[in-house]
Amino acid sequence: MTQREMRQEDAKLGYFRSKLTWLYWALVVALVLSILIALGQGRYEIDFYSVSLILLENMAIVSESWKPVDERIVELIRLPRISVAGIAGAGLAVAGAALQGIFKNPLVGPQIIGVSSGAAFGGAFAILVSESQVLLVSLAFVFGLLAIALVYIVSRQHGRASILMLVLSGIVISAFFSALVSLTKFVADPDDKLPAIVFWLMGSFASASYEKVLLIGVPVVFGIGVIYLLRFQLNVLSLGDEQAQSLGLEVEKIRWIVLAAIALVSAAVVAAAGVIGWVGLVIPHFSRMLCGPDHKVLIPVSGLVGSIYLIHVDTVARTISPAEIPVGIITALIGAPIFAYLLRKSSDKGWSAE
Amino acid sequence: MHLRFSVRHIVKLLCSGWAFLLIFCSGVSGAAESIEFVDQRDRTIKLDGPAERVVTIPIPAASMFIAVDGGTDHLVGMHNLSKAAIKGRILGKFFPDSLSIPSNVTGEGFTFTPNVEELLKLNPDLVFQWGHLNDDIIDPLENAGLNVALIKIGKEAFTRKWLQIMGAVTGKDEKAKQLIAWRDSVAKEVAEISNSIPDSEKPRTLYFMNYLSKLRVAGGKSYNNYYIDLAGGKNVASSLGMFAEVGIEQILEWNPEVILLNGFEAKLSPEDLYKNELLADVSAVKNRRVYKMPLGGYRWDPPNQESPLTWLWLSMILHPDKFNWDLTKRIDSSYQIMYGKGVTAADVENILRFDMNSTAANYKIFR
Amino acid sequence: MITVANASVKYDNRFVFRDLGFTLPKGKIGAILGSNGRGKTSLLKAIVGLQKLTGGYIQTTERIGYVAQKTEITFSYRVLDIVVMGRAPHVKMFRVPSVEDYEIARKTLTDLRLDHLIYQPYSKLSGGERQLVMIARALASECRILVLDEPTSALDLANQLVIFQALQKVAKKSGLTVLMTTHAPQQVSLMCDYVLLMYNAEESEWGEVDSTLNAENLERLYGIPMREVKVSSTEKTFVPLISTTEI
Repeated sequence: MTQREMRQEDAKLGYFRSKLTWLYWALVVALVLSILIALGQGRYEIDFYSVSLILLENMAIVSESWKPVDERIVELIRLPRISVAGIAGAGLAVAGAALQGIFKNPLVGPQIIGVSSGAAFGGAFAILVSESQVLLVSLAFVFGLLAIALVYIVSRQHGRASILMLVLSGIVISAFFSALVSLTKFVADPDDKLPAIVFWLMGSFASASYEKVLLIGVPVVFGIGVIYLLRFQLNVLSLGDEQAQSLGLEVEKIRWIVLAAIALVSAAVVAAAGVIGWVGLVIPHFSRMLCGPDHKVLIPVSGLVGSIYLIHVDTVARTISPAEIPVGIITALIGAPIFAYLLRKSSDKGWSAE
Repeated sequence: MHLRFSVRHIVKLLCSGWAFLLIFCSGVSGAAESIEFVDQRDRTIKLDGPAERVVTIPIPAASMFIAVDGGTDHLVGMHNLSKAAIKGRILGKFFPDSLSIPSNVTGEGFTFTPNVEELLKLNPDLVFQWGHLNDDIIDPLENAGLNVALIKIGKEAFTRKWLQIMGAVTGKDEKAKQLIAWRDSVAKEVAEISNSIPDSEKPRTLYFMNYLSKLRVAGGKSYNNYYIDLAGGKNVASSLGMFAEVGIEQILEWNPEVILLNGFEAKLSPEDLYKNELLADVSAVKNRRVYKMPLGGYRWDPPNQESPLTWLWLSMILHPDKFNWDLTKRIDSSYQIMYGKGVTAADVENILRFDMNSTAANYKIFR
Repeated sequence: MITVANASVKYDNRFVFRDLGFTLPKGKIGAILGSNGRGKTSLLKAIVGLQKLTGGYIQTTERIGYVAQKTEITFSYRVLDIVVMGRAPHVKMFRVPSVEDYEIARKTLTDLRLDHLIYQPYSKLSGGERQLVMIARALASECRILVLDEPTSALDLANQLVIFQALQKVAKKSGLTVLMTTHAPQQVSLMCDYVLLMYNAEESEWGEVDSTLNAENLERLYGIPMREVKVSSTEKTFVPLISTTEI
């Protein structure tokens, strides 16, 4: 290769890098804008100017020209809720991306792999036996992990889990944990525990508070962090167990660490907001179309896109009618058709249909 | 010879008299025995006579049956939440026997799925069940060969139908008619005044079907909407269906002036709303116009035999300046008719939930 | 160097191979021939460490790089990213490849004359290019032993030649020890120093190509008549002897 050709190649690399930087910046700006727009939306009318002033007041002295109820709404109702939605979106998207890498299959997401049902049971059981929020997240995590482990064990054939086996195993394990959830509901005291369990299971961002932000934020950030740190190992792992092993990777160990991180993230989201599907499945796909399959960029991009997406979905859920629409319904209505479209369009940029 | 002739005569008279009496009696009892009525899903139910052993699954039906029948003799089973409204409240005081009536005919809590084996143990000749939900709760009863009468909820006209049906079932049609006529006259009394209240003076009102576990309110299709309207209020959630879940921001947007709390969440009290800082700006909270729905012979929020008392109570809550009924007297006199018993001042405070409402605005008018 | 001694692998209660032994000295190129595909691959996997032996032992003194027969990858990474994955043995857990790792990856690609493909997605490559990329990946790991499972079976003649030439050049240049399975005896004679003939599960023969690779042994191996053909003074090849009247 001539010197000139090499410089051309380097220019291309630079171009790619700058395209990536551009993408990151665009997404970050989009996220900030989404948050600001969402803060201005709600059943209670507050004009955008007041919203901006209210937010500004936290950083500088501004003369109070708004009603105290406006400030309460923006800071105590909307901001925590948007935060929880954003964190949940990022968590679900990253968990989905990592799951697809681990199972070498772009057609999986937390809802298929049983972790949501497992986490749902863990949390329901925790509510049954105690009031502790910490126990709730812990048991959701433990049973979420157990569910993934069971699906993984049941679906394995010669080191590669075919999509059919994965989906079937996921259905079976999900059904099993759903039955356990029903049993828990049956045993629960109808005046006290049962309504609490039912409400938690249906899940929504409606009960968001700053405590919830912490409850979901810490595990999700930690889980995303672990997954991001293993981004190179995820790349190698996605080639296949044998290949990865021959390259000196401790395949089982890495896989279990990633699965644990996925379980942690999923459990935290389920604990804070109930079962929300179609985010972990669709967002990573879409992100791969934007930036390619390298987990080094896929993880952050998925996180940002997922965050933006769920913030907007939640805005719709809480503003479109006086009645609250469960977020899971909207994500399914949007996610399923988009996924069908992506399936058809499965191009080289992302994954091959082999 | 003279005597023998008269003895035979007397014997013949007696025998034919007996025969005539027997025929007459069987004829009469035959005519008076069988009962036939149409339930709210247009099904015809036939009974051989007034029901002796009735089971009620719809929650308001148990106390209504006791009211129409005048006692607990013919009620052999009820819903667990019906029992919860009797225990420790006035109906339990009036009819202590009611506390021992089995209440496990469905699963625990807010389910209407019948526990058929428990039901069959009670050997009922009639079962009341909801007809407006799915048929899964009806089929098992019919498959077990039980007589099922279906009732529906929502409109005031439906509640009158319940009274009518129960009157037929117990053979106490007159009492049922009386209770229906009472509803008519009270509704008219209240409407006479409320119809003349201009829309701008009608307070924005909201009823919480659930508050503790989630926020669910009564919409335009609910029974609560009917009496809020009748009592001169404006249901802020009228655009919604029967009951709908809403976000807290929506409550702030509606800014109700009066809030009514359901009688099902036992622990729910107006204090829960006063404590909630997110609701601090709501008019009803600021003016302490948050009221726990009273619980007399039954909870006053859903449709029941005591609904006219609900209307009188609510009209005074909404418009203390325009309505001034002697609620204590009304409760006393209507209870005499329904249950054959009167109430003390302490009973009235119990019924009107003074334990939770005493510090609410204007509540002393009920003393 | 690779040392195999009394190695056996059992599968479903049947021996795939039994009591196999040979030594491939450092810097030499060895080939494994055999009509039974499973035996060859199992042996190779056992050497790489992906297959457990039921008996005997295998000793390899240095890092091994492995190139499988056909590499399916689900996600279409860029060629550079794939080759840099070969640096995995040098990258610690929770770490990513460094700038130097990328340099080594690029250099490997340059050595194999694949510079023009660096940023291409894998799915856009031809079969031959894909195999070369996989070889580049194995080489990027700085292995001293290169093990390949039928590197050219799925390729056309032109590509086969490209692969073999590349292998030969790289091996001789860096002094790698190379072991590969193949179905093409003619390439063995042209390129390799040693050969293992796996006649069946019980019998095999190992030796230098010059002496061990002959028509008689090949006939025994494949069960069809073979003829040795002299291509030049130093090179020979083998052709199956199929006469049209036989059928």
